[in-house]
Amino acid sequence: MSSAQYDGGASLFSGGGFMPSQATQTPESGFSKARAAQGILPLTVKQISEAYDSNDDKSNFVVDGVDATNVKLLGIMMNKIERVTDVSFALDDGTGRINVNRWVNETSDTNEMAIVQNGMYVTIRGSLKGFQGKRQVVAYSVRPVIDFNEVTLHYLECIHVHLDNTRPKVNTVIGTVTPNQNDFKGFQTPLTNPIPGMKFSDNDIQKRVLDVFMEPASLVREQGLHIDEVIRRLDFPPNKIMEAISYHNDLGHIYSTIDDFHFKSAMNG
Amino acid sequence: MDTSSPAVFVNAELLKMHVGKRVRTVLQVARNEGGVMIGQSTDGQQLTVKGGDPKGSPLSHYVEVIGIADGNQSIRAEICTDFGERFDAVSYNGLCQLANGKYKNLFL
Repeated sequence: MSSAQYDGGASLFSGGGFMPSQATQTPESGFSKARAAQGILPLTVKQISEAYDSNDDKSNFVVDGVDATNVKLLGIMMNKIERVTDVSFALDDGTGRINVNRWVNETSDTNEMAIVQNGMYVTIRGSLKGFQGKRQVVAYSVRPVIDFNEVTLHYLECIHVHLDNTRPKVNTVIGTVTPNQNDFKGFQTPLTNPIPGMKFSDNDIQKRVLDVFMEPASLVREQGLHIDEVIRRLDFPPNKIMEAISYHNDLGHIYSTIDDFHFKSAMNG
Repeated sequence: MDTSSPAVFVNAELLKMHVGKRVRTVLQVARNEGGVMIGQSTDGQQLTVKGGDPKGSPLSHYVEVIGIADGNQSIRAEICTDFGERFDAVSYNGLCQLANGKYKNLFL
């Protein structure tokens, strides 16, 4: 019974994941829409305290340039107060303390909140709100931490996601990467006139094919590259290139876009 | 919202740099001596904890201690949490280093 409810909760986050892709960063009009489209950001309270408040009315917060509507926090529960319609408590994650509110509508909500007590480590998922100048989280999930490796994991996730959101994106990379492109051409030239009898292993071909997809010029194209373009770029037998593309597609390095002939690198700029 | 008294992630080596401040660490309990817990830090050194659980923490369990660093190898505990026997000390030690190094601004 309870596991079925937990599954129901998990579906709230389906398709979200930790890394909101660029496509999901476009501002959404309705709150429910935004909640469905955004991923969940793992954050420390310290990061929330420094989050940029982009709009006073709608309480949209931005961390590392990414909308921080849905957040995941982990810490020790303190000062739990149970009321008829809601439970409020403070969450101390070691970097700071933030108030959390959990509305209690269903029996399952009541049960979930009865398990967790002051002094316990909990993971919360919820919406970050600004209310009368104070920041708080309206949680839709509060779960006790069972395996304490999750504590380490949470903070490592915070670092990982922070790094991913702050690293230079493709547009800025193009300029700095130019010398490498020349290098690429440098070793590409002999390929157009392969030395007779010279053999390339499947590994070499796979690597060269992926290199073409990873070029900044290929990454910025929404549709990716047509198979024929890759074949023209590399002087390998077309069937070998098709095999390499299929290999990378199976591994998730690239994916098909508008049709079965266009592929794009899965690396998100 | 209050970020005025953070607890810094430390191992034994980093503890020395935070004497007098609020810290958090994980140690594996070696023995309990009259209210003082002695254990091994995630970087393999000995640490003592005062004011923890008066009953003593279970031996060989990993225990997280949040409190004030009152010496190079000792902590006065405010909160002790039993992290159980299966805890990855190596990852935690790595996290301590990251949280005091390049990514300090996410924590302090």
